[in-house]
Amino acid sequence: MSGPGSNDEGVPLARRYDAVVIGGGHNGLVAAAYLAKAGRSVVVLERRHVLGGAAVTEEVVPGFRFSVFSYVVSLLRPEVIRELELARHGLRILPLDGTITPLDDDALWRVDDHAETIRELRRWSRADAEAYEEYGQLMADLARFVKPVLSMVPPDPGRVDPREWLGALRMARAFRDLPERHQAALVGLMTMSATDFLRQWFETEPLVATMSASGIIGTFQGVQSPGTAYVLLHHYMGEIDGAFRAWGVPKGGTGGISEAIGRAARALGAEIRTEAPVARIEVREGRATGVTLASGEEIRADVVLSSLDANQTFLRLVDRSHLDEGFVRAVERFKYRGSSGKVNLALDDLPELACKPGRGEWLRGAISFSPSVDYMERAYDDAKYGHFSRRPYVDCIIPTLVDPSMAPPGKHVMSCFVQYAPYRLADGAAWDDGARAAFGETVLDTLEERFPRIRDLIVGMQVLSPVDIEEATGLTEGNIFQGELSLEQLFFNRPVPGWARYRTPIEGLWMCGSAVHPGGGIMGAPGRIGALEALRATRGAGR
Amino acid sequence: MSARAYDAIVVGAGHNGLVTAAYLAGGGLRTLVLERRARPGGALATTALGSARVPALAHTVGRLRRSVIEDLGLGRHGLSLIRPAARVFAPSPEGPGLTLWDDPARTAEELRSRSAADAEAYPAFDRRVRAIASFLAYVGVTTPPDLRAPSLSDAVAGLGLGRAFRGLGRGPRREALRILPMAVADLLEEAFSSDLLRGAIAARAVQHAALGPRSAGTAATLLMDSAGNDGGAAGQTVYARGGPGALAKALAAAVRAAGAEIRTGAEVAAIASRDGAVTGVTLGSGEELRAPVVASTADPKRTLLGLLDPVEVGPTLAWRAGNIRMPGVSAKVNLVLDGLPSFAGAVESEGARERLKGRIVLAPSVDYLERAFDASKYGAISERPFLEATIPTLVDPSLAPEGTHVMSVLFQWAPYHRREGDWDADRDRLGDLALAALEGVAPGLSARVVEREVLTPLDLERDYGLTEGHALHGEPALDQFFAWRPLLGLARYRGPVAGLYLCGSGAHPGGGVTGGPGANAAREILSDWSKRRRRS
Repeated sequence: MSGPGSNDEGVPLARRYDAVVIGGGHNGLVAAAYLAKAGRSVVVLERRHVLGGAAVTEEVVPGFRFSVFSYVVSLLRPEVIRELELARHGLRILPLDGTITPLDDDALWRVDDHAETIRELRRWSRADAEAYEEYGQLMADLARFVKPVLSMVPPDPGRVDPREWLGALRMARAFRDLPERHQAALVGLMTMSATDFLRQWFETEPLVATMSASGIIGTFQGVQSPGTAYVLLHHYMGEIDGAFRAWGVPKGGTGGISEAIGRAARALGAEIRTEAPVARIEVREGRATGVTLASGEEIRADVVLSSLDANQTFLRLVDRSHLDEGFVRAVERFKYRGSSGKVNLALDDLPELACKPGRGEWLRGAISFSPSVDYMERAYDDAKYGHFSRRPYVDCIIPTLVDPSMAPPGKHVMSCFVQYAPYRLADGAAWDDGARAAFGETVLDTLEERFPRIRDLIVGMQVLSPVDIEEATGLTEGNIFQGELSLEQLFFNRPVPGWARYRTPIEGLWMCGSAVHPGGGIMGAPGRIGALEALRATRGAGR
Repeated sequence: MSARAYDAIVVGAGHNGLVTAAYLAGGGLRTLVLERRARPGGALATTALGSARVPALAHTVGRLRRSVIEDLGLGRHGLSLIRPAARVFAPSPEGPGLTLWDDPARTAEELRSRSAADAEAYPAFDRRVRAIASFLAYVGVTTPPDLRAPSLSDAVAGLGLGRAFRGLGRGPRREALRILPMAVADLLEEAFSSDLLRGAIAARAVQHAALGPRSAGTAATLLMDSAGNDGGAAGQTVYARGGPGALAKALAAAVRAAGAEIRTGAEVAAIASRDGAVTGVTLGSGEELRAPVVASTADPKRTLLGLLDPVEVGPTLAWRAGNIRMPGVSAKVNLVLDGLPSFAGAVESEGARERLKGRIVLAPSVDYLERAFDASKYGAISERPFLEATIPTLVDPSLAPEGTHVMSVLFQWAPYHRREGDWDADRDRLGDLALAALEGVAPGLSARVVEREVLTPLDLERDYGLTEGHALHGEPALDQFFAWRPLLGLARYRGPVAGLYLCGSGAHPGGGVTGGPGANAAREILSDWSKRRRRS
């Protein structure tokens, strides 16, 4: 690593690193840590004053700290935790226990305890209680089967290089050996809607709706849209393979994860700079040579890894003259379609549910506003035609119940993930203050139906539209996954067919964010695989 | 002991049943076709309405596989096809309609006044559709592989598919894999800006499906619809002279000429089996007929859950069959008009008659279609439906007395599963909704109606044996496609008991008047038959 200096005439020399990582979100940090671990000199450049990208914790209301954009975690790859020794660097995940779906005068409450959940389901439907067991086993089996995909470099269907296809072939063989019921369920998972898939087993409306909801988070799809069933697996993936075996909240908010990864990266020798926005990726003769910051400072590097989305990377940071037209068109048509907003509440006291009063355990998990499939579909219908949902799907958690450090004693924070809030409003309307306020009111109206006193408890409130998310994090159209997780934008199509293997048409420029396989969520997988691929390609390239 | 009367019994004389039977008889099997209704053809029928003759359900036949026409000599048996130059006429409530012609260059010319960019893009889009559809045509004639224990012949077929796929070229190959799981709305938004054009093309991707244009996988249905015919972007518009019933007649003649027997008014009540092999069928009358091969063209739910012995099916398969998704969503309205209706953009002018020979697609935008679909999600009939109408008398005046016209209207979405109301009570309402929608683009049309007939999804189930009124014997969605149509493990036409075959639209390559499932299934039956013969 060479520090800043100057040549004989006193002109500052550009700093030089083996690698520069654009973006200090969780994936950028993971990539940097792996590069540093391999002995490369690396610098991470983060635009904001805080690390984490969309996984940050900020004190929005004095004394109250929020996971501003994201809220829960389950899928952080165990190999990332292990290889970067994140626990040693302060990562603590506190389990979120269960999900409650409040209804008019009852609530469906599923907890981590299997027997308990079965007892609860029996109250709704004996058949569902029975099916729940079988379903859970089946999904766990399938999650185990699908797991290797998360650490696989996608093959390119445009080419017939047998090495690329080895992983896929191995999976095809494993598929053949699965029992027929598992095969059929797997095909269903890859192609069906979450609701259609679940209705094969369950009839209880709030159960189907709430389970389906996990299939649409962060996407512009409805629970009955084909292709949404796949995400149901993620839940079980967390259980069998997630390091935490359940959904959880990181201690200190999701920023806690980013900070732990950042500490690990620094300990491994990576340099991390905040408030260092990149203005341009420098390309010479088709090769990335470094970046130029908004300040004008130049940083040279052998490889540049971008953890930003494809739109930011190729359409903003790279001069178009370096890319061929077909590639640019493919990047332009990649779909973002931010579909969710976030409402963060600072509360004077714990709110209580009308249908299940008291301050019991049920408030410690997710509180899901998903009473029926129709409710979810109507929420989607509004969004399809350019409106935020009149009655949105809201997934709330109250992190202070598991991590009181997030608010002053006795006070609470409530984190509400809200869908749908389309990035593009009908008739070209803007997400201005008026629209944001109306959206916030709609969310409060929705919450109030189940938490009747909620408005009286609010001491502070933050409403984020997809446009706000875009402005704050740089995520195009506010899509928290750096692009829709629809079938045609997954695996070997992510982000551009032919360029799904972390490389880009510009030599030395690599992708390592949620824009590449296996996509979004606080997984750390794209960062890890992106860095490993870049390392593999540069190994022995004369350092 | 007398010899067995039949080698094969085909259940159902719809187009796929007739195609299967013709091939089986041609292959030397003593074949009997059993049909519940009074006439062969199933939903492929021309029926009387007042003084006119109307298409019962399907009104065009342009997807019929070319090899079926040739192999069975349908021309010789009286089939005469009419191919108008206009493929689609898309009327708009807000202005002149748009015509998609058989010649993409002519369509591009027509588009120029709306959008120069669309005019530019159309021929390329049409070529792209044709390229991918030609690969899908190959998929369509292929028997899906056995994913459990691939055999040598699967490997060979797989190689063939692989070759066809490689033949696409690297770019289109990647493009095909990107496009197939897409929503047709996205595909069209990438290509075109005109709402009317997008709606007209998207409509074809959701026909008969409980899917909207924003549903993933509808790009695949659009491409499958163009596979094996010269549809391209506009889709096929081919009429049988004498109506669709004329095709049924030609098929029946081909079946008889090949030496098979067709019995109508003979409803199969059960498929008999013993020790895991079929032994024949039992008719509603109690009569038993024996054959070592039973080829069922009833939909898969009906075959597996209604006709087979539940013990043979077993609980797991019964559960899976029960979950085959086939929520019918289409209805039919047939009209006799005392004159030709006037559509905006197709009035009086010389070309008006020419334009109206195409399928008249009322789906002026993707959002219009999506909203029409939305109603069905809540079990309601679309108040502003998507309609596909034809006026077959423009190409075949023999169907109605001089001066009058027949209008055949497919109505979507009219869900079989209603939350409120029942179909028998709402038949007239459906007819009124169809006319109100037509009136919006062809003012004065309803005043011309002299006869009207409405077929609800419930009628389609009762009269034509389509479970849940589903015209395609199962949703044409990604989860019921190729190696998993109708179910993983049953996609190779062979049923769960030996000697039973699934040959209807519920099997690969799916519904529509293609004859594909019947022809593919017959090939597999004949192959099994010759193996059996060699063994014994």
